[in-house]
Amino acid sequence: MEYARMKFYCDEARCIECDGCSIACAEAHELPVGISRRKVVTINEGIPGKEFSTSIACMHCTDAPCEQVCPVDCFYIREDGIVLHDKDKCIGCGYCLYACPFGAPQFPRDGAFGAKGAMDKCTMCAGGPLETNSKEERHLYGQNRIAEGKVPVCAAMCATKALLVGDAESISNIYRARVSARGKGANSPYGWDRAYTK
Amino acid sequence: MRKFFYFFVATACLASVAFAADSQIWGEMRIPNILSYGQEQSLKLGALFTMLQNHYFGKIFLAILVLVPLVFFVHYKVIGPKVFSHEGKKVYAFDMFNRVVHQIAAISFIVIVPTGFVIVFGDFFGGGTFVRLCKNLHGIFTIPFAIVVIPMFVMWVKDMFLHWDDIKWLMIVGGYLSKVKNPVPAGKFNAGQKTWYWLATLGGVLMIVTGAMMYFLDFKIEMLNNITGLSQIDLLRVSAILHNVVGFAVVALFFVHIYMSIFAIKGAIHSILTGYKEEEEVKILHSSWYRKLKEQGKV
Repeated sequence: MEYARMKFYCDEARCIECDGCSIACAEAHELPVGISRRKVVTINEGIPGKEFSTSIACMHCTDAPCEQVCPVDCFYIREDGIVLHDKDKCIGCGYCLYACPFGAPQFPRDGAFGAKGAMDKCTMCAGGPLETNSKEERHLYGQNRIAEGKVPVCAAMCATKALLVGDAESISNIYRARVSARGKGANSPYGWDRAYTK
Repeated sequence: MRKFFYFFVATACLASVAFAADSQIWGEMRIPNILSYGQEQSLKLGALFTMLQNHYFGKIFLAILVLVPLVFFVHYKVIGPKVFSHEGKKVYAFDMFNRVVHQIAAISFIVIVPTGFVIVFGDFFGGGTFVRLCKNLHGIFTIPFAIVVIPMFVMWVKDMFLHWDDIKWLMIVGGYLSKVKNPVPAGKFNAGQKTWYWLATLGGVLMIVTGAMMYFLDFKIEMLNNITGLSQIDLLRVSAILHNVVGFAVVALFFVHIYMSIFAIKGAIHSILTGYKEEEEVKILHSSWYRKLKEQGKV
């Protein structure tokens, strides 16, 4: 059976820069101070007609570059396209961050001498490799809402429904309907191949 | 007491918030760091780093790890080591300062190089605690090397400039391709040692700087961004690429240095432990220096 590929999409025409998604994420996963898996950014600030806001996190790229460069091979891509990693394997080298065009991987300073700890990033609320919904999984990776059949918390909380999540086809159908209704398309890149304009 | 504890916790929290707000990667800088948000003129280092790390770096390191020792094994079996008498007179070559500085650098390299290989082949070791430990040792043992690299540069630099002997030395590959003990044109240091010196000091500093940038990751040195015209994330990508590429050369010549001192010239390692080289060894392998010492009446 062919699985759908899970994707995020933030509709720039609807995003009002309320930061609700990143706060919902930090609260739901009880993230340490200094880590924000999701961030709202405003591009072309102050330039009339060009300014827009969007919410960025891990884009769960097809052929994710982080997975390609990891020296300890701690990444794995689920059949539904969600890109996850094993924090017990991760050595905190930072290579995934250099490969990522979105700045998604983050490193808490938890070791002695300010050594980088294991990488942390958006899991699309799908937890990690540990036993689903176990205490350990929750502690290391946060909630596993996907396993419970729930929508990732950022998209669920989005007041204007700018942030969409789901299988790529449904997302593009919704977005296409919105664009045809307002007759104006997107500005920002989705997926690393477009971000690097290959 | 409790009050102080809360005060400490509050300060720590505020400090980390300030740290996050000041971030050169995940804070305000996140937009300029993202290529397609107005960075069309960027060097596309992210894609370049991904391609190199995914397809080449590991393979090149593996090739160096296998081929360089293999070449030496063949050399040892076919041509064999150079053996000089350790019974004869000795020449005092390295004073105490030289030896201590070299020993500190040597211990650093003995830890840094193998742990570097463990990081490169981290997937082979399965990641986790062992590879993390090696990563931390890789960083910690950089500190002693960083302390001695400048003294090492200064103490030997006057002997390390290019000389006619070096061209002649390179033409005959230092005489290592023949079993005959003919005098080899070289001063106190031969062309091979000079190459290693420049790589280990200048290349070593480059390795320290690029490694430190990757270690500290989220620092702010505006001058560095202004001079290079690179955003923070691109600086890190340049560091990662340079650290690997210069690493190839450092590792390869480090293997050469070890082979020469331990296997190819029997007992040569003693000169850096005791300070004395065998007179016969100097006469053959550093013939120009020997002639000079003789004129000065030192041998």
